[in-house]
Amino acid sequence: MSGVSKVCVIGAGTMGAGIAAQVANAGVPVLLLDMVTEGPDRSVVARKALEKLGKAEPAAFMSKAAAKLVEVGNIEDDLAKVAECDWVIEAIIEKIEAKQALYEKLEAVRRPGSAVSSNTSTMPLAVLTQGRSEAFQRDFLITHFFNPPRYMRLLEVVAGPQSDPALVAGISAFADRALGKSVVTARDTPGFIANRVGTFWLQSAINAAFDLGVSVEDADAIAGKPMGVPKTGIFGLVDLVGIDLMPYLKTSLTRSLPKDDPYQAIAKDHPLILKMIGDGYTGRKGKGGFYRINREAGKVKEAIDLATGEYRKAAKPVSIPGAAQKDLRALVSLPGKLGAYAWAVLGPTLAYAASLVGEAADDVLAIDTAMKLGYNWSYGPFELIDRLGSEALAKRLEAEGIAVPEILRIAAGRPFYRVEGGQRQFLGLDGDYHAITRPEGVLLLEDIKAGSKPLLKNGSAALWDVGDGVVALEFTGKMNALDGDVMTLIGKAIPLVASQYKALVVYNEGRNFSAGANLGLALFALNIAAWGEVDKLVAGGQQAYKALKYAPFPVVAAPFGLALGGGCEVCLNADAVQAHAETYIGLVECGVGLIPGWGGCGEMMQRFAENAKLPKGPMPAVAKAFETISTATVAKSAANAKEVGYLRASDGITMNRDRLLADAKAKALALAEGYQPPVPPVFRLPGAGGKAALDLAVQGFRARGLATPYDEVVAGRLAHVLSGGEADLVDTVTEEQLLELERGQFVALVRDPRTLARIETMLATGKPLRN
Amino acid sequence: MAELSQDVVIAGYARSPFHLAGKGALARTRPDDLAAAVVRALVERTGIDAAALEDLVLGCAFPEGEQGFNIARLVGLLSDLPLSVGGMTVNRFCGSSMSAIHYAAGQIALGAGQAFLCGGVESMSRVPMMGFNPLPNAELAKRSAAYIGMGDTAENVAKQYGISREQQEAFAVESQRKAAEAQAEGRLSDEIVPIATKAGVVDKDGCLRPGTTAEALAGLKPAFSATGSVTAGTASPLTDGASAVLVTSGTFAGAHNLPLLARVKAVAISGCSPEIMGIGPVAASRKALERAGITAADLDVIELNEAFASQALACIADLGLDPSKMNIDGGAIAIGHPLGATGARIVGKAASLLARTGGRYALATQCIGGGQGIATVLEAV
Repeated sequence: MSGVSKVCVIGAGTMGAGIAAQVANAGVPVLLLDMVTEGPDRSVVARKALEKLGKAEPAAFMSKAAAKLVEVGNIEDDLAKVAECDWVIEAIIEKIEAKQALYEKLEAVRRPGSAVSSNTSTMPLAVLTQGRSEAFQRDFLITHFFNPPRYMRLLEVVAGPQSDPALVAGISAFADRALGKSVVTARDTPGFIANRVGTFWLQSAINAAFDLGVSVEDADAIAGKPMGVPKTGIFGLVDLVGIDLMPYLKTSLTRSLPKDDPYQAIAKDHPLILKMIGDGYTGRKGKGGFYRINREAGKVKEAIDLATGEYRKAAKPVSIPGAAQKDLRALVSLPGKLGAYAWAVLGPTLAYAASLVGEAADDVLAIDTAMKLGYNWSYGPFELIDRLGSEALAKRLEAEGIAVPEILRIAAGRPFYRVEGGQRQFLGLDGDYHAITRPEGVLLLEDIKAGSKPLLKNGSAALWDVGDGVVALEFTGKMNALDGDVMTLIGKAIPLVASQYKALVVYNEGRNFSAGANLGLALFALNIAAWGEVDKLVAGGQQAYKALKYAPFPVVAAPFGLALGGGCEVCLNADAVQAHAETYIGLVECGVGLIPGWGGCGEMMQRFAENAKLPKGPMPAVAKAFETISTATVAKSAANAKEVGYLRASDGITMNRDRLLADAKAKALALAEGYQPPVPPVFRLPGAGGKAALDLAVQGFRARGLATPYDEVVAGRLAHVLSGGEADLVDTVTEEQLLELERGQFVALVRDPRTLARIETMLATGKPLRN
Repeated sequence: MAELSQDVVIAGYARSPFHLAGKGALARTRPDDLAAAVVRALVERTGIDAAALEDLVLGCAFPEGEQGFNIARLVGLLSDLPLSVGGMTVNRFCGSSMSAIHYAAGQIALGAGQAFLCGGVESMSRVPMMGFNPLPNAELAKRSAAYIGMGDTAENVAKQYGISREQQEAFAVESQRKAAEAQAEGRLSDEIVPIATKAGVVDKDGCLRPGTTAEALAGLKPAFSATGSVTAGTASPLTDGASAVLVTSGTFAGAHNLPLLARVKAVAISGCSPEIMGIGPVAASRKALERAGITAADLDVIELNEAFASQALACIADLGLDPSKMNIDGGAIAIGHPLGATGARIVGKAASLLARTGGRYALATQCIGGGQGIATVLEAV
């Protein structure tokens, strides 16, 4: 097929609407259809869904522009428009008759060669296409998205024996590049991969909690973080997705799986859970779940007692001994209930996942990817087995009378992953190791790191050769926090890159790009009144970032996830940005009683001054920068960051996280041709009059109760910098002078105990102090 | 007594529909085009020979951007007035277009012309309040409330004059009711000039909220102070609009068969403290009434601009005005307040109402940001 320029989604429920939003986020027009209703607005179902989508939390749309790309309609009046679409995604109710009837109608109107896919999570492809023409079957596949479609990276693709491989490849490529999904090829088996393993896992964990008498708090503590599962753990996750989903998944899987499938033996409805659902305790969307916040008791977090079925105050979970927090072997060997529970969750689940290689998935990679991206596990089942030891696992399974899966026997004690000759490999069903090959345009630092040594490295950053004359600057500290070591490494990197390489990208593969300066370190310095150190940190950061900006080679920053404070400023100082679509970038310093100290003030003003849409004169750029920074605005996506002003129109956006480094590298290489460093900007700033205007605005916010007394102080210092301090309208202010102003006001703020209080609160609670 | 030495009359009044800034039907109309449409219509409706006009005087509170470049001259050219007619932009914030009328009356008294088109315009959609580049004098900002926000002054007046939130809301409900009735009964249509926009002709006011109830208003959050009493419901909305009146000598009007709405009897300006600028109409009206040789009790028609319910109520109480004679067709809380255009609207409206009701004396008065009041006393012809 020749690309996808318009998509139709049929079924405007949570999944269908969410998929439509993600298609729109990719900049592709989408037609969202649902049932017809009698009345003046025959498309009210789809229209309501679109309205709901606009208010969804977390946001379904990445930008206002994206929301405008969705057109709504109903399947009676608008089905003919399907002929305009290159891809029709069916996401209606999971009833085979309804789906088959819709396909019959689609067959009459769709354009031959256009793709038709189902978002089913339970129905076999073979059944879905019964009675359809050969041409329809050739163009048909299953594309199984995860909820919410914007944020969950996994897409399971199932092709049937009749499916046209070129069409499947075309849809997969679009899903990968435009929708940003990691496509995992699944076989046409019940539940595909992620839900099959996931349901087994949740069921085992719930059963074991009841059987072993483990509280929900302890269960989540054991089966959460130490296993690399999101901190919601088991019961918290079920609360999140909806407890009522459990019996539904159970029924669907027990019906479709063979009788001897291990899941059949563990599938059960616990009376307590059925009672909870019956009483409306369906989780976070309902009255509460395994946990609830009791507002009558004054916002007390409560947990359900699995033995009595009564809510009680949530207890502090059992503490996991140090070694067992990191070492799975130690975790499953813990004495008593702790170890027994860990094993009861992990052992059977890993065995089950292993049994699916060759049945539900072609290889271990597909299963690991599915679980990591579909269930947010930090490690896939086979990576967990490697941490546990494949031999140890096999032995214990055998000892407990659990069938040892074939792939585990083939491994015979060998790991599922290894690095050989700088190349990461996985173990196949044939008993041989195979290189992990990435699709074209996917470059992972993880792979590079496995096969090479850093060019430079210290405690907080490293520099890697990522090929073709490009190096990557990686932050390596906790939360990728920025400190003096990062700045030192930048200082060393610049002459190295200048003499031996063409360009530098700022990139890493942590959970977030960077949450900003190391506040803990800053707090330590402030507590001992080490003002000189603080001044050095600010000056050092300014110098390092400006050195990057004016280096004789291009610098491209590639943010993703959180890029806050100093993490935002490194992007602002780069020649260009290639951002992952899910980038939440912002200058948030004011929230902790500070102002941007590493050049953020001037960079934002320069961006707004370049914005032709703003009126002329000395104030508009200053006022916009002030508004954005003083309210600690964080963009809700990369597209939104362009609307807010953190990113320039010319900055790039990559939808698929795995393609970010390659895209950033390509951008850097494109800039490297005949590269000239930028000319330092010169500002014409309003001085005292401008500050007076900003101060007046803040006083208004204060009167309205929208700003606190200390907000006013912090905003005042920010206003001083942005208006150019003592500048006069007729004079110019250099970037250097602005940096000096920024540093001066920053250092004045850190000496204020109210800033200290804000930082302490942020570190202790993760929430801003509104003093 | 300080009556004008020369008979000056209001010989015509017209305005554009008033619409909410930002989301209203005139948001995409340039202010100069808007004012030109009104000027053109007023010339047509009055039948005046445009060549006889001395000057076009337009008020505008933020004369920059599309309202810059001496907008009055540009509106003259846009509306195809003869090149011989002058153009001057006047700025006294909300009092701008009333000042334009006062200027014309003075020029006529001075013997410096017989006929003037006076009006005002404000697109609060396209030129923000405070302008694009607000640059207060930092020293002045420190030692006075010169730059105080208008909402804050409304709060101050409410506090100082003991105007409760309930009183403000009752006043706003009444303003909305009067305007809605006037609109429904077609009492606003004569003065309105239909405006052609890209999205179609706009010929009705758009700010009105008919059916506003005290209960609904009671649910609004304070707009300017967390602990305050002024809400969006008891303040005039940000508005786009233009207005114009024809000001001539009595002799000229007679000679040219112009419609005679009212005679300008006396005018006044008075400053007050910026913190309570809303009380400005009190001193200005007292002066103007005294100059006219009458008292508040003699007034049959009162147009007191409702910048905020709190200041309007304080002025009514202080001046001893009869609420039943005030803002008969609704005030700015309902109709809208395009800053530069309001003065000419309320003078034109007061003059028309004198003619309509057969009353003898009318007062048009308004408060002005920075601490001023302006007033015009009219007499039936």
